[in-house]
Amino acid sequence: MRKIAIYGKGGIGKSTTTQNTVAGLAEAGNKVMVVGCDPKADSTRLLLGGMAQGTVLDTLREEGEDVEIDDVIKDGYSGTRCVESGGPEPGVGCAGRGIITSINLLEQLGAYEPDQKLDYVFYDVLGDVVCGGFAMPIREGKAEEIYIVVSGEMMAMYAANNICKGIVKFADAGGVRLGGLICNSRKCDNELELITELADRLGTQMIHFVPRDNIVQHAELNRQTVIEFAPESGQADEYRALSKKINDNEMRVIPKPLEMEDLEELMVKYGFDA
Amino acid sequence: MLLRHTPKEVKERKALTINPAKTCQPVGAMYAALGVHGCLPHSHGSQGCCSYHRSVLTRHYKDPIMAGTSAFTEGSSVFGGQANLMQALTNMFTIYNPDLVAVHTTCLSETIGDDLNQICSKAIEDGKVPAGKKVIYCNTPSYIGSHVTGFSNMCTGIVKGLVEHTGVAKDQVNILPGWVEPSDMREIKRIAKDMGAKIVLYPDTSDVVDSPQTGEYKMYPDGGATVEDIASSGDSIKTLACGAFASEDAAKLLDSSFKVPYEVLDIPVGLSASDRFITALSEAARVTVPAAFVAERGRLVDVIADMTQYLHGKKVAIFGDPDQLIPMVEFLLDLDMIPTHVISGTPGKKFTKKIQELCAEKAPNVQVQNGAQADMFLLHQWIKNEPVDLLLGNTYGKYIARDEDIPFVRYGFPILDRIGHSYFPTVGYTGGIRLLELMLGAIMDRQDRDADDTKVELVM
Amino acid sequence: MSEDKKLPDPSIIKEEILAKYPPKIARKRAKSMVVVDKSMDQEVQSNVRTIPGIITQRGCCYAGCKGVVLGPTRDIINLVHGPIGCSFYAWLTRRNQTDPGEAGPDGENFINYCFSTDMQDSNIVFGGEKKLKQAIQEAYDIFKPKAIGVFSTCPVGLIGDDVHAVSREMKEKFGDCNVFGFSCEGYKGVSQSAGHHIANNQLFKHVIGRDNTQPEGKYNINLLGEYNIGGDAFELDRIFELCGINVISTFSGNSNVTGFERSHTADLNLVMCHRSINYVAEMMETKYGIPWFKVNFIGGDATAKSLRRIGEYYEDPELIARIEEVITAELPSVKQAAKDVLKTTDGKLAMMFVGGSRAHHYQELFAEMGMTTVSAGYEFAHRDDYEGRKVLPTIKVDADSRNIEELKIEADPELYNPRKTKVELEDLEKNGLEFSEYKGMKNDMADQSLIVDDISHWEADKLIEYYKPDIFCAGIKEKYVVQKMGIPLKQLHSYDYGGPYAGFEGAKNFYTDIERMLSTSIWKKLKAPWLETGASDPCICAEYVA
Repeated sequence: MRKIAIYGKGGIGKSTTTQNTVAGLAEAGNKVMVVGCDPKADSTRLLLGGMAQGTVLDTLREEGEDVEIDDVIKDGYSGTRCVESGGPEPGVGCAGRGIITSINLLEQLGAYEPDQKLDYVFYDVLGDVVCGGFAMPIREGKAEEIYIVVSGEMMAMYAANNICKGIVKFADAGGVRLGGLICNSRKCDNELELITELADRLGTQMIHFVPRDNIVQHAELNRQTVIEFAPESGQADEYRALSKKINDNEMRVIPKPLEMEDLEELMVKYGFDA
Repeated sequence: MLLRHTPKEVKERKALTINPAKTCQPVGAMYAALGVHGCLPHSHGSQGCCSYHRSVLTRHYKDPIMAGTSAFTEGSSVFGGQANLMQALTNMFTIYNPDLVAVHTTCLSETIGDDLNQICSKAIEDGKVPAGKKVIYCNTPSYIGSHVTGFSNMCTGIVKGLVEHTGVAKDQVNILPGWVEPSDMREIKRIAKDMGAKIVLYPDTSDVVDSPQTGEYKMYPDGGATVEDIASSGDSIKTLACGAFASEDAAKLLDSSFKVPYEVLDIPVGLSASDRFITALSEAARVTVPAAFVAERGRLVDVIADMTQYLHGKKVAIFGDPDQLIPMVEFLLDLDMIPTHVISGTPGKKFTKKIQELCAEKAPNVQVQNGAQADMFLLHQWIKNEPVDLLLGNTYGKYIARDEDIPFVRYGFPILDRIGHSYFPTVGYTGGIRLLELMLGAIMDRQDRDADDTKVELVM
Repeated sequence: MSEDKKLPDPSIIKEEILAKYPPKIARKRAKSMVVVDKSMDQEVQSNVRTIPGIITQRGCCYAGCKGVVLGPTRDIINLVHGPIGCSFYAWLTRRNQTDPGEAGPDGENFINYCFSTDMQDSNIVFGGEKKLKQAIQEAYDIFKPKAIGVFSTCPVGLIGDDVHAVSREMKEKFGDCNVFGFSCEGYKGVSQSAGHHIANNQLFKHVIGRDNTQPEGKYNINLLGEYNIGGDAFELDRIFELCGINVISTFSGNSNVTGFERSHTADLNLVMCHRSINYVAEMMETKYGIPWFKVNFIGGDATAKSLRRIGEYYEDPELIARIEEVITAELPSVKQAAKDVLKTTDGKLAMMFVGGSRAHHYQELFAEMGMTTVSAGYEFAHRDDYEGRKVLPTIKVDADSRNIEELKIEADPELYNPRKTKVELEDLEKNGLEFSEYKGMKNDMADQSLIVDDISHWEADKLIEYYKPDIFCAGIKEKYVVQKMGIPLKQLHSYDYGGPYAGFEGAKNFYTDIERMLSTSIWKKLKAPWLETGASDPCICAEYVA
């Protein structure tokens, strides 16, 4: 079983990318579980055809000790197993602790046991690793492979670099490695070249360049992945290509995060008005 | 009246705990860690936690309890406790030279999400841990479970951090004694030795928290399970885990990681649980039970038979930790006493179920509750509504016993106002006699006190 | 007696102790270990962060706030918002005695109870305010208390539950119950001291001055920083009553809410434990015009001296005469008691590391028995507790102190009433009264004695080896460590479940307790007899050295 976490700046299109990638893998016959680690609980909406009912934490709060695995895991598109960690509304409690609690609970419930016959677990994590709890998916024995969704926008690259710092921190203890950058295009200037070089400097690869296409929005409005909504479209093929690349990827590195000046210099080099 | 505001009428509470029958995880982890020889426990959190845990353990054992703290400040709470723990490890190994440090978390470090695995690995990588020394750790979020959970988690941490698998089977049985007193651990070792069973027992706090006064202070007393013995438990034939709440998780881990099968038993308190323990140990270690144990058992049975008139039909209220309460309730039933009120702050539905099953035949009206709001305030209210003849529990029970004028025997953790628990076991057949001595003493003292002048008995 | 003896120079042992530490730690600790030289001003580094891993005596901010200052008040429900442990460990463990007797057999007394919201994982994740609100409601419904204090623990601060807003809301809802919160999370500050300050602030904001009923007595005082451990405040109350002095409120031993609420009507504040309560004294002076001075009721002479100062303050011949009568009646038996123990105690050495005032006060008691304090230090003091309040303007406020609220107090437009004019105060000072002053521990220590702030286990261990004291004073965590070295330890937090030690009767108790400890037979029988014989035989010794 491969355990993958997808990180990236908030609003970058992480959840969309993750779910489409998962759909691609599932379509190709893989058994995939998606664990949404965002208090908004919208990481499985496209796979489930709507918002998940009963997040792990809601269930825990309501049921107390008597939580069963089926209370928190729902089947989505093409047999994907969907879990939402859930969490508090903004401004109260501790969302980070929520992630720790819910991943621990999933382990106790045996969600990762061999009898579940999973090929993949995907963690879709809130954009900014704001506290220790949000690093839970890359701790010991949890996700082993990270993909960072990025675009040519400065803040996205800045966030990606920061996430790499986090990976370095956990690389020795948890064995987590960076699998590559996924460029989710914002149609910035020289975006392909910029991200290719960023990946290079980080010591990794840009595993796929996902072009921008309005069909993604249409699919989202219909609460579906592109692969389900428009299986014949070019964009669906892009996601299939991404999932195949991930499936075949053998490159796992401990990234070398850039200094702030180097990052800025890189942006200037590709015609960025910094 | 000490608890003058406790009303008889029980009203449901949803949020307020009054006079808890539990405390938080880290103190259990600290106690378990003391059961490893040469180990310095370390509390990763605010310094107050460490201070409180050391204090309560010191008061209970009247012996030195040493431990370090990461001494979090507001800054560490925001930026994470890595720098504090790294510095603490350097300082502890430099100044106090333990063989190993056992780190547990607190609600503070848990909430900010410090990752002990990552920090400890980094400490080793950065050379903060001298060659040959070890750091083990476990998570003990104070807002989950109870002190018993913390003990269990450190047992798991010990297995994870110290046990090895050499592939060469060893003719020995692992015994995880659960949260019992040093006297009990010593007694279990004595029983095994007299049975000719080779065992590895851990945690083992005997000769650690009941260390002798010789005029010479040893920061790391002679006792405690050795790292080598613990390491070898991955090659053992079997694990006997005493107490499901405190020992089962560690036993499970020994099974899943090292393929050592396990059996969960009750802590051998009282006749029946001791019978099962002796039988299980003789089977696991493939030794026959020596005749001396028939005599030992016979002495306990003899005392029960001799004194049954003072016990039969007496109502008992009891509070404490599940692993202690389950075999104790069974013992009370063996004595024809009537468990009437049973309270534990430690959550886990299997507890109430187990007590109800045990009592189904002989004490079907038993009131039992555990987990949220199962506290000593509720117990006191139950007692006001249905009085009992004997109260069993930790020192805090003294306030109820005094107000309600009930004979009281201290049993459980913490015992802050009497000695004995460190030295005289309550496990095994001999421990059963000690329990009887305590309970009969309390009941018979009461009869002596309350009898009319004309009714005072010389011989009882 | 012992004053003539010169103490050994501890500089060498200090260097030896520091040599074990990593260099940075050694540099830091060096500043907290000061060999007393009374001919000059010396800075004693204190109130700085505890070094992780050094094995400290210290506790946390919550312990100082709930445990020390608010814990002893019998008719407040102290509700701890947090996981169960914090409330559990502070449950009856400080021995604050209280007597609800005056309010009849049903007088309110919640001291024997332990209240907690027992936060669970889901309360951390989703926030605990709802549970807190519900818990306050349940406490109110069951107990109908006058006041409920809500104490924040570490995770509460992290997740941002607003205990103050919840308290305000519930106070308004009840109408007849004063509910107020404390942001005393354990990680705040560097020791219990931060908690004392927070407790002082909230008492001042929410309780003091709420009830303007004027006292009936002639001489009305408050006793600040006396926590009635082992019944100390009972003994002091007895003495005050004999003198005709009316104690409106003690902060906070044997106290109740009403006393706090009326405490602003006193003529004078007496400060026992400077560290834990000086803030209230200062703020009451600014707001209400009540002068304060430092007193010490630990020791017979000290008690007499403190009583006489009260007489001088009132400048009332009747009071002065009555105080002298009391001293004449009580002090001789104290002196006799000290004399009775002298043959056991004279010339003996003591060390004490405790609290924020006791390590100072108890030196006087030991001196009355002819004993010398060779080394002492506080657990959570500030520099002024060592060096005197004269250093206050020079104390650097670091980040850890800065985040503890400093209340801005002004004179109350209606209630401000200076009890003495400026001229009167100056005249009194000329006669030896020292208002708003504390000279600190160092002032009373001998040259070449050693001050150690926030002593670590390693330091205590080495110092015991060096000084070989006859008695060591500290707390429960140190008790059995030191005794295992063959040296009796007197707990000065809990008095080893004895006491009282304050006032005249207390001094006598202390003398006999110390005499008992110094003449306990068992210390002479620590070694097994066969080992003692063996030790004198060099052949056997040599053979068994592994």
